Amino acid sequence: MRRILSTVAAVAVSAGIVACGSSAPSGTGSPASGAGSCSSASVQKDLYKKGQLTVATDSPAYPPWFENNKPSNGKGFESAVAYAIAKQLGFKTSQVAWAYEPFDASYAPGPKKFDFDINEISYTPQRATAVTFSESYYDVSQSLVALKNTPIVSKHTPAELKTYVYGDQVGTTSLSFITSQIQPTAQPKVFQTLNDVKSALQTHQIAAFVTDTPTAQYISSSEIPGSIMVAQFPSTGEHYGLLFSLGNPLVTCVNKAITALKANGTLAALQKRYLQIYLSVPTIKP
Amino acid sequence: MSLGVGGPAPGSFGTTGRGPRLLSGGGRRATAISTVSTLVVLGALVAVFLLAPGSAQVRHTFFNPTDMWQALRGDPKKGYYSVGAAIWLNIRMFLAAEVLILIVALAIALVRLSTGPVAFPFRVLSMIYVDFFRGVPLLLVILAIGFGVPALRLPFVSAQSAAVYGVAALVLSYSAYVSEVYRAGLNSVHQSQVAAARSLGLSQATALRHVILPQAVRNVIPPLLNDFISLQKDTALVGVLGAIEANEAAQIYSSTVFNYSSYAVAAVLFLLLTIPLARFTDRVIDRDRRRRLAGSAP
Repeated sequence: MRRILSTVAAVAVSAGIVACGSSAPSGTGSPASGAGSCSSASVQKDLYKKGQLTVATDSPAYPPWFENNKPSNGKGFESAVAYAIAKQLGFKTSQVAWAYEPFDASYAPGPKKFDFDINEISYTPQRATAVTFSESYYDVSQSLVALKNTPIVSKHTPAELKTYVYGDQVGTTSLSFITSQIQPTAQPKVFQTLNDVKSALQTHQIAAFVTDTPTAQYISSSEIPGSIMVAQFPSTGEHYGLLFSLGNPLVTCVNKAITALKANGTLAALQKRYLQIYLSVPTIKP
Repeated sequence: MSLGVGGPAPGSFGTTGRGPRLLSGGGRRATAISTVSTLVVLGALVAVFLLAPGSAQVRHTFFNPTDMWQALRGDPKKGYYSVGAAIWLNIRMFLAAEVLILIVALAIALVRLSTGPVAFPFRVLSMIYVDFFRGVPLLLVILAIGFGVPALRLPFVSAQSAAVYGVAALVLSYSAYVSEVYRAGLNSVHQSQVAAARSLGLSQATALRHVILPQAVRNVIPPLLNDFISLQKDTALVGVLGAIEANEAAQIYSSTVFNYSSYAVAAVLFLLLTIPLARFTDRVIDRDRRRRLAGSAP
């Protein structure tokens, strides 16, 4: 048992290095790291189902990451990124299959029913002991959403922020941000889905919630009438990575694809197109 | 029920006049066989668990002592709350719900068994109530109350905590079940008891209060306790409303660090709550059986 656990730890550490790595090629000595070896033919042996790239996400899949709750339409940032990665690996659009994977189930031990999961999952070193993460495909900062004309919109010094009742989706790094950075005096309310969080805000059960900036912008501009994105918080170095089963060798080729998409400007273009980072958002301290 | 050799004859339910026993009599040989059998069965189960190809991973993910300890303690600075502290909310919700259910359910049962023509619409309503809340999954009732009532924006009523809405939903749902238990108990009291009480000059209400109810309730204490064991666990469903009870705290831990050991902690805490009540129920059933068999031939 000890031996197996230490193997698990070793894999986890290397996964952490991969996920933290800069844009340098992150070959870890595996034979697949040679130039040009990442093709749809060479990755076949590592695929969940031969002949197709199986990509998973949760349902409902929220904008601006997905559109119309339909990952297969290629619209929305994460859907577009998944198809861009598939193309980079040499898959045709028709060879990409989508699987439904609830967030809670995505980190269960054992074999997974997808090649990778793309679901706004933040990398943390502790999580990387249970699953393997790809390199960052999006560097994220957290923002505060509230209803207009409520006290928090104008009163949000670090001391004042502690006095409100917050709500958030279970297991998100946004919830962790509330408990670890804002440290409110009242326990936040923790809901199963982001939709529950939104309805709690609308019915005044919570004063505000925290979510990543693109989601916050989308919700405040088009989803909840009368809501406002109060401000964003300084980045904590958080980033989203694709989730693989622990030690899945496919991550090497996918990391190369992400690096290439960063280098040729595709990722930046997709961010501009779908994540609407054009508002100047004030930054406040938690 | 008899679990060993040398017990009662096949076909009997293992009662010997002293109530059912887990370990049957039959002397030293039977005890030895029981012991060996237990060891073999338990050993086989443990061996399958330990020797399975993914055993190490499963043990690490579900039963890792370090994670279990961290989940029990909790650390808001790391993004998760104490499962041990959260179970206190389950206990409070259970106690509040239990008291209310006992009262509401009795009222429903009495309405349903009333006989006067004036009470007819109430009888129909109580029947619809019971049919409805026994038929709708508890989780849906919790969601409807917990998200629906605040949305009404009423003063006071819409400003309660998630735990209050959760208790309200538990009371609505469980009262339907428990009222049926009461009804069975009330029906089990023989009609002659009512007749005797009335012939003594007791009013309908006094007869009910002093003659019928005490007998009816005593008859249904075991099924009542059984429902309350179930209620203890179902307080975990209130987590969907955002209240941080034990199950919700466990979920927060597991999705924060990607390890399910926190659920094992919650399971152990729920067992610590339910097992004493289960044993107490056994004792009540046993005592009741002895009382009823007293005088009859063993």
